Amino acid sequence: MKFGKRLKQQVQETLPDWRDKFLSYKELKKLVRLISSAPPFLNGSSEYGKSEAEFVRLLNCEIDKFNAFFMEQEEDFIIRHEALKQRIQKVIDTWGATASQPSEAEYKEQMGKIRKDIVNLHGEMVLLENYSNINYTGLAKILKKYDKRTGGLLRLAFIRKVLEEPFFITDLVSKLVKQCENMIDAVFQQRKKKRKTKGEKQ
Amino acid sequence: MEARPAFSIQRSGAKQLGNLGVSGVLSSSLPLVPTPLEETCPKLPGSQQVSMERELMTRPLVHASHLPYNNEVVGHLFSSSAGFSTDLQYSSVTPREKHSRNTPFISQSSANTASLLMSQSSSPALLQSTTSSHYINENSASWCPEPLPGFLDFPTNTTIQNNQIESNSCAGVMASEEFGKRNDWQEWADQLITDDDALTSNWNELLADTSIADMEPKMAYQVSKPSSNIPVQHSQVHPQLPSPSAEIRPVLTPTSTANSAPTKPRMRWTPELHEAFVEAVNNLGGSERATPKGVLKLMKVEGLTIYHVKSHLQKYRTARYRPESSEGSSEKRLTSIDEISSLDLKTGIEITEALQLQMEVQKRLHEQLEIQRNLQLRIEEQGRHLQMMFEKQCKSGIDVVKAASSALENPSTLSSDAIQDAPAKTELETAQVDCSKTPTDTIFASPALEEGSQDLNRKHKVSQTETPENSEPYNTDSSLQPAKRSRADA
Repeated sequence: MKFGKRLKQQVQETLPDWRDKFLSYKELKKLVRLISSAPPFLNGSSEYGKSEAEFVRLLNCEIDKFNAFFMEQEEDFIIRHEALKQRIQKVIDTWGATASQPSEAEYKEQMGKIRKDIVNLHGEMVLLENYSNINYTGLAKILKKYDKRTGGLLRLAFIRKVLEEPFFITDLVSKLVKQCENMIDAVFQQRKKKRKTKGEKQ
Repeated sequence: MEARPAFSIQRSGAKQLGNLGVSGVLSSSLPLVPTPLEETCPKLPGSQQVSMERELMTRPLVHASHLPYNNEVVGHLFSSSAGFSTDLQYSSVTPREKHSRNTPFISQSSANTASLLMSQSSSPALLQSTTSSHYINENSASWCPEPLPGFLDFPTNTTIQNNQIESNSCAGVMASEEFGKRNDWQEWADQLITDDDALTSNWNELLADTSIADMEPKMAYQVSKPSSNIPVQHSQVHPQLPSPSAEIRPVLTPTSTANSAPTKPRMRWTPELHEAFVEAVNNLGGSERATPKGVLKLMKVEGLTIYHVKSHLQKYRTARYRPESSEGSSEKRLTSIDEISSLDLKTGIEITEALQLQMEVQKRLHEQLEIQRNLQLRIEEQGRHLQMMFEKQCKSGIDVVKAASSALENPSTLSSDAIQDAPAKTELETAQVDCSKTPTDTIFASPALEEGSQDLNRKHKVSQTETPENSEPYNTDSSLQPAKRSRADA
């Protein structure tokens, strides 16, 4: 399947709300076609330079878009992650086994909610990683297309720059994902522990 | 495609996600990224042709679309002071604040990108940039009563020129000013924070005045003063912005710059920073009672502006409100829970198992994405490595060619034209002719040395691989490089 098609399909199926945040692959492809079909190869070519500049400008615009969106989401994740941790602690403190007013039912209910939220957060973070990946792939592909069609050599240097862009450096999100995984393991264990103690009591 | 399995698995996983209210969460976070922002870039490719004239025309359009997003912050930017010039003054204050954060980011890549994109910038814009940059110097100097460490080369002329220059300087200030003055700007920012949105229209006009040349001065500044970048000390603060990238790329429209000027600078929060934030908020009595100003003062993080804190506080409050409200409602249901606890147990188990399964899927997705990302990095690294190897090999090979064909005297111009215009395939064919000419070329121009090595590279490729079309992108790139760059020079 063609990348552009698959990109569209995937965005539609998973995150239709984010559609505008993804790479405008189709538009960029059209632009490349336009550039390559336009009167090409003017010597010294101010015309060529202009069109390449335009292409680069658009790409940079896209990258800015990615960066902004990515960092915004990242910030949200950091906040929610921290909030979840606090919630877990609070639930343990209020309704846990060693708390002031231990309540099995309440504890379970709260933990259930927290578990759901952890899984949701984890999933969203994975989706953001996917977002970053897809956009990078799209950029690499469109640059390759550009170089192929117009005989330029934009790709190498540009993609090197992209590698340093914040939207591509997903280390923090990755770390948060792993922490989420640890968190949910701990929460599941807690629950198992509680059930065990209850079983023993009975 | 290597990503295919990842995509297919993710689709099913994501569908489940969607059922669990992801969209709900997304909708809460999306308002923070209002639609005007979404419309900017996708609009541009559709509405613009390749020509520059169209670009100029559509820029104001994009400016306007950016403004609602910046509305809140713009309102804060402009106090009730009247007059266009004062607005400009205020606006130029905050951009500088924001740009303090851009320094490390810019310093890393400005050299590379500036050199890359310098060649692409149009000359008329450059001409204007030099003049406007001068004004920028003056205007910025007027803002800094004390000379900043990085700005020692700035003249102390305090005159403010006409609107044109003001608008240029406003945009230029963003790019040119380094960010030593963060602490001062915090005070400025404190004064500026109001709830008045009245001056958005002025900002519209301001943005409409900016032109391409605004980007040029910025870039010129970035290139000229790589050393004056004041590094951000805190490892926790990772200032990354679309605006710094706007400055690095001179061809960018002022929309990016205009966008960066009034809006909160795109700072990259880290968990450590957030922890400090939470601590400060708790010390001030909770998220509801804490004020951005207070939190900012308590956090004592350099480079952090009130805007950062404000937006972060807003997000923080939203994030905490939902879980708290759900907890409150659950307490009321405490009594009834015991009665139906047995039933809940079973469904609870099912839910938990479903969650566990979903978690497993997501974990695997995450792993695949990591692998994919590492692969992408490795591919680029490999490409770079191979290119280096080719260059080394060709450089050594050139000496051989030199000795072998010192007698050849073909006109270099003929082949250079052919190279420039021909597609890759024919280039490779003519490369053999070029290779013989490279010795003579290298004598004339130093960049030709690299060019010659590239020609040899091509020659080797033709003889060895015989598949020019299938060669890796970097190979094609290196072979085309002389055509586009060095040949034109030589």
